[in-house]
Amino acid sequence: MKKIVFYCLASAGSLLLLTRGGGLSAGGGFLSNGIRPAVSVPADNPQTDAKIRLGKQLYFDKRLSADNTISCATCHAPGTGWANHGATDTGIKGQVGGRNSGSIIDSAYMKSQFWDGRAATLEAQAVGPIANPIEMGETLENVVLKLNAIPGYKAQFRDVFGTDASADAIGKAIAAFERTIISGPSPYDRYLRGETGAMPASAVRGLAVFNGKGHCSACHSGPSFSDGGFHNLGVGFEKGGFKDEGRYKMTAAAKDLGAFKTPGLRNTAQTYPYLHDGSEKTLEAVIDFYDRGGVPNGNLDRLMVPLHLTVKEKADLLSFLNSLTGPVPEIKEPELPN
Amino acid sequence: MRRIFHSLVLAAAACPALLIISAPPAGAIPVFARKYGFNCTMCHSNFPRLNDFGARYRKNGYRLPGRENEEKTVLESPTPLALRTSAGYNYDKFHNSADPAVRQFQLNGLDLVSGGLVNSDAGYIFVYTPMITGSRGVAAQDGVLEMANIVFSGLGSTWLNVRAGRFEPAYAAPSVKRQLMVSPFEIYDFTFAGGAPFSETREGVELSGYGRSGMSYAAGWLNSAGPAGATQTSSDFYARVEKVFGEGEGQTAGQRIGLTGYSGRARPDITLPPSGRRDFRRAGVDASLNYRSFNLSLQYMNGKDDKVLWGRTADLNFTGGFAELNWLPSTSLVYFARFDTVNAARSVSGDISRLTLGGRYYPADNMALHPEYSARKQKGPAGEVTENFFTVRMDYAF
Repeated sequence: MKKIVFYCLASAGSLLLLTRGGGLSAGGGFLSNGIRPAVSVPADNPQTDAKIRLGKQLYFDKRLSADNTISCATCHAPGTGWANHGATDTGIKGQVGGRNSGSIIDSAYMKSQFWDGRAATLEAQAVGPIANPIEMGETLENVVLKLNAIPGYKAQFRDVFGTDASADAIGKAIAAFERTIISGPSPYDRYLRGETGAMPASAVRGLAVFNGKGHCSACHSGPSFSDGGFHNLGVGFEKGGFKDEGRYKMTAAAKDLGAFKTPGLRNTAQTYPYLHDGSEKTLEAVIDFYDRGGVPNGNLDRLMVPLHLTVKEKADLLSFLNSLTGPVPEIKEPELPN
Repeated sequence: MRRIFHSLVLAAAACPALLIISAPPAGAIPVFARKYGFNCTMCHSNFPRLNDFGARYRKNGYRLPGRENEEKTVLESPTPLALRTSAGYNYDKFHNSADPAVRQFQLNGLDLVSGGLVNSDAGYIFVYTPMITGSRGVAAQDGVLEMANIVFSGLGSTWLNVRAGRFEPAYAAPSVKRQLMVSPFEIYDFTFAGGAPFSETREGVELSGYGRSGMSYAAGWLNSAGPAGATQTSSDFYARVEKVFGEGEGQTAGQRIGLTGYSGRARPDITLPPSGRRDFRRAGVDASLNYRSFNLSLQYMNGKDDKVLWGRTADLNFTGGFAELNWLPSTSLVYFARFDTVNAARSVSGDISRLTLGGRYYPADNMALHPEYSARKQKGPAGEVTENFFTVRMDYAF
């Protein structure tokens, strides 16, 4: 008997020493959801207080739209998780877009921007909605003229960039502001740092579901819980086709048909509704959607399979998702230059 | 002094082992799971049984489907080593047989496992069972390189993957190496003396592929079996096609049916009159049916072996199979029941039947408490041989 115990423990002990070095914590693997690194800032657009202040004003300024009714903050409002609680966004003249307004929280960590990844940088993303005929419906040329006609803006652009307002400078200023909208330590972050009581027991169990039977971390990986990839969940697949072809519109690659970017999950409890078309109103509904394995279609991502989660596992997963909510900077609407 | 030394060694070894036991679920997880920071349950419904996700991961050459470009090789990943072992109490009693009874605690085996990617398109898996000398309380184990194979999956299409080396051929469905039970699949173990049972890993090469329609195939070329010392050749071939209806891979979702054919040539056992290689054939149909948290796995197989392989005057035809029901109410609990049967000529080995019942409880997802009872009957030329087997053991991998 003693020999058995000896063999078991000795082998367990020696193998543990071999394996421990690989990192067994939640932050160990290359896809794992560890503590966030510092935000990466492009060399040609360093962060400065003046630039962030200018970007903040532009973010809230409805004059960037054709009829002065829509600003970035209209669809990505601080009070609604820096997103919009409508299923899809509504632009100028009451036009309704086809996609949900994703939260800008932690967008600084994303490999690409927009649901279809058409903007590689925050700078490129920031000016995209201005020229979108459904969203802000303005031309960049006209916006530049409008801003340069406002002395307060003209002076700030000269101070920050050394030039008058330009499309490039507008994008850089808004991007600099968006890079400050980072959620603070969530209960999950505190748990990772060793504060074991930071998450309730249900959330700790939910973490196991997230990294295991729920298959969530296969895509929602990395510090912001997004692999930056594009996946077909079957959302919007009806009558043999997709209402929105997603990433396919950018690449024309068959594999991208119906595929959309994996959104991050920081503060996800605040950013309802969910999925690219806002078709799921609650996190519970999203969990049920994944539990069913998405919507079958010829291009369904092979990471999608029915999960058979129990009621308790779903509740635990929800508890974990709620634990990803951390404080975000309190931003009040600034006074705009006249 | 020696006793003190042994006590110190035991205590030193026990400390890290206790750390494992007290680690959180996200912690001690082997090879692939450790690479990604996943839990075992990402790929296993209840280890070692794969779920649909795990089945797809394996089919894709140990790469996450769609994320092949992000995969890291073993040189860039945590130490690609893991261990699986089990220890517990075994009771095994025979009637009308010379097999010795077992009633004792035993270490049931030890596997050293490694796996990962050699490069972005080539995965490997390696399982070595080191030699353990049998002694009181420790079951003997031969040192065997149980698996050592490489799989090439980046050959331009999901319809062409190549696995080479020593591996578990695709004809065993469900996988013997990932089954929940200790008791063997009788039909897979049924073979002539010197033959290679379906439950064993084999050396050779296997082509496999799959499509989005749920169709998949595998075809292989293997070394022939035969008595030790005899000249061997590679003249065994097999092919398998399967189709999944609905979503999933038929492991935990979807319904899967499969057809398998095997054609081999083997040299008769050394104790039989000398002869050249003789033919044997297997044909099987199997199904894996899922309903909520229940899985029913069915296998029917027909075999025809040349008479010389069995030392008979006529070829041996036999049939057999099994029906296995798994209930997977959660990742921490699974119940299983299986009925095995083989119907063969009584002059050879007779009819075999086995009923197995049991379950596995997982206090952590890489550790299982495993009770199992199995009753076996074999009506052979010397009368009816019965076996009653019971075990309760801890099975763990880390």
